[in-house]
Order: sequence, then structure tokens, then C-alpha cells
Amino acid sequence: MRLELRGITKRFGSFTANDSISITVEPGQIHCLLGENGAGKSTLMNVLFGLLHPEEGEVLIDGEVTKFADSGEAVRRGIGMVHQHFMLVPVFSVAENVVLGFEPTKSFDRVDYKRATEEIRRISKEFSLEVDPDAIVENLPIGLQQRVEILKALSHDAELLILDEPTAVLTPQEIDALMSIMRSLAASGKSILFISHKLKEVKAISDVITVIRQGKVVGTAEPTASEKELASLMVGREVILTVEKTPSTPGANVLEIRDLVVHDDRGLIAVNGVSLDVRAGEILALAGVQGNGQTELVEAITGLRRVESGTVTLKGRDVTNVTPRQALDAGIGHIPEDRQRFGLVLSMSLADNLVLNTPKRAPFAKHGTRNLRAIDQNARDRVEDFDIRATSIREPVSSLSGGNQQKVIVARELSRTLQVLIASQPTRGLDVGSIEYVHHQIVQQRNEGNGSLIVSSELDEVMALGDRIAVMFAGKISGIVDPSVSRQAIGLLMAGETNLEHV
Amino acid sequence: MSAGITEARADAPVVRKVPRGRTRVIGVIMVVIGLFTLVAFGLNTSSKAHSALTFSPVDIISNAPWHLGTLTLLTLWTNVVLGLVMTAIGIEVLWRQPRRGVMGRFGLVSVLFLLALLFWAVRTPGPSQVSFIDLTSILVGSSEVTMVLIFGSLSGVMCERAGVVNIAIEGQFIAGAFVGAMVASTTNNYFYAAIGGLVAGGIIGWILAFLAVRYLSDQIIVGVVLVTMLSSLSSYLNLQIFTPYPNLNTGNVLGNFAIPLLDKIPIIGPVFFNQSAFFYLMLLLIGAVSFALFKTRYGLHVRAVGEHPHAAATVGINVARVRYINVVLGGAIAGVGGVAFISQQGQFQPGITSGLGYIALAAMIFGRWRPSGAVVACVLFGMSVYLADNLQTYNIPISTEILTMFPYIITIFVVSGLVGRVRAPAADGQPYLAG
Repeated sequence: MRLELRGITKRFGSFTANDSISITVEPGQIHCLLGENGAGKSTLMNVLFGLLHPEEGEVLIDGEVTKFADSGEAVRRGIGMVHQHFMLVPVFSVAENVVLGFEPTKSFDRVDYKRATEEIRRISKEFSLEVDPDAIVENLPIGLQQRVEILKALSHDAELLILDEPTAVLTPQEIDALMSIMRSLAASGKSILFISHKLKEVKAISDVITVIRQGKVVGTAEPTASEKELASLMVGREVILTVEKTPSTPGANVLEIRDLVVHDDRGLIAVNGVSLDVRAGEILALAGVQGNGQTELVEAITGLRRVESGTVTLKGRDVTNVTPRQALDAGIGHIPEDRQRFGLVLSMSLADNLVLNTPKRAPFAKHGTRNLRAIDQNARDRVEDFDIRATSIREPVSSLSGGNQQKVIVARELSRTLQVLIASQPTRGLDVGSIEYVHHQIVQQRNEGNGSLIVSSELDEVMALGDRIAVMFAGKISGIVDPSVSRQAIGLLMAGETNLEHV
Repeated sequence: MSAGITEARADAPVVRKVPRGRTRVIGVIMVVIGLFTLVAFGLNTSSKAHSALTFSPVDIISNAPWHLGTLTLLTLWTNVVLGLVMTAIGIEVLWRQPRRGVMGRFGLVSVLFLLALLFWAVRTPGPSQVSFIDLTSILVGSSEVTMVLIFGSLSGVMCERAGVVNIAIEGQFIAGAFVGAMVASTTNNYFYAAIGGLVAGGIIGWILAFLAVRYLSDQIIVGVVLVTMLSSLSSYLNLQIFTPYPNLNTGNVLGNFAIPLLDKIPIIGPVFFNQSAFFYLMLLLIGAVSFALFKTRYGLHVRAVGEHPHAAATVGINVARVRYINVVLGGAIAGVGGVAFISQQGQFQPGITSGLGYIALAAMIFGRWRPSGAVVACVLFGMSVYLADNLQTYNIPISTEILTMFPYIITIFVVSGLVGRVRAPAADGQPYLAG
């Protein structure tokens, strides 16, 4: 399918999300739409998919002007979308999800599951996307769930597939698998519109790259363009992709973790005898594939999860199994993994979120009442210091972009005296500009002499930030290495290999 | 991307289960109930006490072509055995901590408990047959309230499967009962009354849907408001209309219609085949709702809307329309339930439904949002409501209120997640905003 978008403009009130965007996707082409979060990529895709209606411009399919009343119509015209948050019903089977809305039926409106299953097997085979039609979706790993989404689009005879940030939730192996699926789909003549802000992936898979910024197309690029060029096109200024930092001058141990054992929600051992030292003025980066006990380790240190055995010591003081309040008061700063669920109260204002960890302390509270003047002053200062983009300090944080939400948390945690900063996935889902900013702040507080434990499943981030890198596998530390070692070596540690002799 | 990373647990299927601790708690509860039964209803009775059990209903004994005799049991040993069985089930749950079927075991223990209670209540000092439990007449007697509960919980299933909490079942009962009484009295025809109740309940359903779907209101609040309003309104209208014009509320009871031959089957006959038209309608409806929800295309759409409305919308399903249709239909079903209630009770009185709508809601939850499960729960709850209302008849020396609490206590166990994974449709109660 040849898809052409001509001068698409979409406004929300006074805000122009898409400003006369024009893009052409040729048959069999993998066309990448690159842009930061909030650049208008998702809006454009929703317009294309019939979920939103543009104020101006038109969509042409194979040269013919087309209008979609709803997404059902877009699907019938051969457009398939793989949403960032999967549009799958978790309790339904693969077959039920794939046929939903387009069910083959027998008499009495009954769904013909036999035909549905056959059809799914046929498409699975044709595009070598193997998945059991009878499996319940919620029991499948994320990568396979995404495969179901793709299968669903293909079963509706999609000629153009839109993939909205498809790699955000995948493990590196799943990303590789997805890319080979994309290549084979393109080879069979399907057009693919790939939305991403991850430069490496974009370069690896695209035939053509269109960069959008603030709702406008700011340029097109070949995949041969350097990451640096792409990044500056996307952000609109020069971007430093590596973290600038001086060699660390580590001091004494701040945080000592000894033989820590922690259970997960199911009561199984998640952290199995971990010992770690975090020194003053040093960033200890904790690498590992997600789900190897990092989350439980961080929760145990910050008082959110019970320690079964072992000790946590902060500057000589035993802080094992303290309450979260005591952990905060002891000087443990925490940037949680899921900012929206654990880092912020989304419906509360920016100002209130900035004092969430010190609500009972002077100057924010006086005689048991809140000192609104001090809270507002604090908010204005933080907004200024940390460059938080918001229309007002009274605005609920839910209306901020992801990057600015993260800045609120960083501002809150770093604007008080800390002993150690624990940050989990501090840049997940952020755009290049915000990543740069958060990294800079983390290095800054290290230079001021705090100890830092940074947990990340992004290898790039681990290697850029860490002064030392600890790798966690299956609840244990499989190795502690210098950031100068090769990616392959760290990769092996992540896979549980502890003997690096042969690398 | 990061080339060297190998996945560790990413490939393992996600296994979700009830935390083991909870299974243990329910095991302990069952053991406690079992031991209580063993001691209070078993060992505590005199060793000579007898309980008699019969299946031949007193009132139809004359023309029943069958007679099953009376089973006389030693109360002590019967209840000791029942108590031991219950304890054993509890220990089995404690020991094996099964992932599935805990709910069924809990239901079984509840039924055994009710039985043991009955045996204990009707015990006589010797093997005389002065007082006995007649199981058939308990089943027949409770079928009336069970039927109303089933109408209510089917209404709940219809609404909640589409993602709208219908806490207003009680209100739809009231509306149906009021209109039903009036239409039945004026036309002397329960068919028209059923139509009247259907419309009345449907309108209440439509109000709920309108506020929930169009204005995204909190469905629980809307539901509670509707029930409160309707109960006051019906009292007011009762005073204004039925009191001055008693011929509008004459209270004729709909007779039973025996299905030839089938009604002669022992036990099953009187319970299933000598009932009012509403009972047969209910049987049809159970099948129809199950079929529609789980076999048809429309049902698949309904369940998708209740679980993940956004996903449904992306494949062109009109979420709002599905919700409107189901909530109006659900309201209509509950409205007919109200008429069914009136057809047995005769006259409308304020407060006549006395919380049956809430018990129906509880039964739907106990039944895990499935028509079949809800029906089983309705039978259990219906029986306890019936026994609570007829304690004197069965000579049960405990206070009514204790038995009245029974359905709610069980529901608390169920919703607390102790009994097994009770999972409502994921989008149940959540307004859907397109986009």
C-alpha cells in the first residue's frame, strides 16, 4: 500500500499537535517516524487510524483520498495498528483477541472458533509468527503478546502496519525478534510505519526516517545518518549522547548491604544473599535484565519490602527493615521505577508533589498545619532550578509530560540532604533531552559526595553512568566490573556467566 | 540494542495465583466451621436424639404418585460425620493449597453447614417423627425467592460484563414490583404485568446507563441514589395511589402451571415442573444469557467492552452502544424479577423487596460474574433467606437475624479473595472516555 498524508493539521483547543504534516510511505518500505515524547507522533497515528479527525489535510491510500469515520473503517481499508499499550483483552484467548470485531459466525450469531483458529494458524504460518491460538493472552510473555497484536492486524488484511513505540516494553532479544519480523513483513510487500525515539533501533531498521518536532516535520534522513545528527534534528539543538563526568573519587562506604535475602510477591526468593557497597562520591550502576531481583532489592533498601535476612547499613547505622519514612529521614533518596504509580500522586498539584517526602517538616508544616506559602515558594524555586516545564505550580502533575514528571521526582529527591540516592530506571520512557538532563543531575549529586545506586536495564545507561557496574542475575550479583569492560562481557554477566576468563 | 543481554525470566509465563497465605486462611476457617459443627450440632446433642428427613412434601403428599419414606438419623452421629467431612475439606485445602476449586469446596462446606444446622434444629429426643425436615418443601418453598434472586443476578451479570456496576438491582425490583402490581390488578393478566415491569426496570436501567455512559458518573453512587429514590418514591406512590384505590393493588397470586408427567418425577417434579410461568421464564433466561454471553459474537463484544473498552473500540465496537443495550436489558430483567416477586406475594407493600437486590448482587459476585455460578449461589442464598423467614415452621431455635446475615457473611469471605481468585471484569465500574 502506498500511503500519503498531506498537510495534516490537528489542534486541541489552542494547542496544535500536528502542524501540516506530510509523509509518504511506499509499499514494502519501513518508514520511521522519529520524534521526542510529545512531538505529536501518537496524535498523527491516531488521526491516520481514524481515532481522531484532523482539522485540515487529507489521507491518500494508493492515490485515493480517504476519510475514516472510526478505526473500524481504517482497519477495513487495510491499516493495522500495533499500539504501544497493547489493545488486547488479557483474559481472552489469542483466538478471541485476534477475531474480535471481525468474527466468523455460524447460525444464531455464534462465533465460529474453529474457523477462527484455522485462520490464525494459516496467518501464523504465512508470516512465521508462531503462537498458540488457544493460549490466554495474559499468560504470555510481553513479546508474544505483541506478536498477537501484529497477528491481529495481519488477520484484518492490513497492508500498512503502524507500530507505535513497539520496543519500549521488550527485552533486547524480543526486540531482535521483532525487527526480523518487521523485515520479513516489509519483504512480503507490507508497508510499515515505525514510531520511535530510540536512535539505535531507528537506524537499524528504517528505510527512510522522518523527524518531527513540536508537531512539524523538521526533516528526513537516511538510516546512514549518525546518531548525533538524528538526535540534534529531533531535539532541535546539539545533544551530548555520552555523559560527561570526571573520574570518581570514592570515599568511605555509605551504604553496605550484607547477605540480603528478600522475597517477591509470590513468596519466592527474589534477592538471594546480595552484598554490595556503595561508596561516597561514586555511582554504582546495577545492571541486569529486568526481573532478576533488582526491583525487590531496591524496595528492601527503601523500606517498601521486608528483608528476610541480612543487613542494610547506612553510614554505620543499621537500617534493615526500617519504615519508608525512617529510610527517607535517614537520608535515602529514592527515584522509583514506576514514576506514575510510586513516584507521584498524579491528581495532586506540582507544588504538593514536590514536598511529598517532607510533608511534616519545617518549613512546610507548622503546628500541624501546612505552610502553603513555603510550599509554593519551594515549588517556584524547584521549577526554576530543575527547569520543570509547567503552566502553573498548581497544575496536577498528571498533565505534565513524562520527562517533566520525572524532573519533579528528581527535583524532590535531590533538593534535600542525602546520604545515598537509589534510582530505578531513572530515564525509562524519557526523550533524549530529558535523559541528558536526568543523567547530568545524577552525576552532579555524585560530585557533591553522595553515594548512588542506579538500577537500569538499559546497558547504554549503565555504561555511561556507572563508576562501577554490578550485574545482577537470578537474585545474585554475578559480577562487579569496571565500566571499561566490553558490552559483551557485561552481557555475559547478565546471562548469569560468572567466569569472564574467556572473554 | 544492547547486544550482550540474554533474557533470564522474560520467557517464563506469568503465573498469577492467590497468595498462598489466603488459601491457608480459608482452610483454617473451614476447619473451624467444621469443628464448630462437630461440637455444637453433634457432640452437644443427646446420643438418643433423632433427626428425621423426608422428601415427600406435606401439601402434595395426597396426590403425589410417589412416596419416598422418611429417613431417620441419629443427630449426634450424623452431625459428627458432617462436621468431620467439613473439617477434612478444610484440612485438605490447608494441606494441598489447591489453586482451583477452593470456591466450590467453600460452597460445599456452606451447604453442609446449613444441613447440619437443620438436623440439629429438628432433632427430637427419640426416634419419633413428630418433627422432620422435608427437603422437597424447603426446595419448593425457597424456589420462590431463589427465582427472584436469579432474575436479579442475571441482571447484574448483563450489566457488569459490559463494565457497568448495577448496584441498582434493588431499585429495579421495586420499580418492577410496583408497576407489576398495578398492571396485574387492572388487567388481571400477569403477561401484561411482566411487560410493565420490563419497561419500568428498563427505564431505571436506562437512567443508570445514561448517567454512567454519557456523563461518566460514578456508577456505585448513581446506583445507590436510584435505590434510595425508588424506595421513597414507591412508598409515596403507595400512599397516594394504592391506599385510596385498593383495587389497583388487589394482590392476586399467579398460580402454578404443572407440566404434565414431568411434574410427577420425585423431588425434581415439584421443584422444577410445577411452578409459575415466571419460573419457566427464568429457566429460559439462564440459558439465554449464558449462550448470548459466551457463545455469540455479541457476547464476545460485551465481554471485551467489560474487560478492555479501548481494545474493543479499536476494532470498531461501539462501547457506549453495547453498554446502553446491556444495562437497559439488565434493568428490564430485574424489572421482570420484581413482577415475578409480586406474582408470588400478591400485594405491593413499601419495602417488600427487603434487600433481595443486594443479595442477588452478592450471589453474582459469589458466582464469579457467570450465570451458572450465580445460579448456584442464588440457590444457596435463596435457601438461607427462606429459612430465615420460616424459622418457626422448622422450629429452629436461633434468631432470624443470624440466618439473614448468612449470605452477606459468605459474600465477605468471597470478595475478600480468601476463597479463590474472584476477578471482576477489568473495566467494571469504570467510565469509558473515547480517545
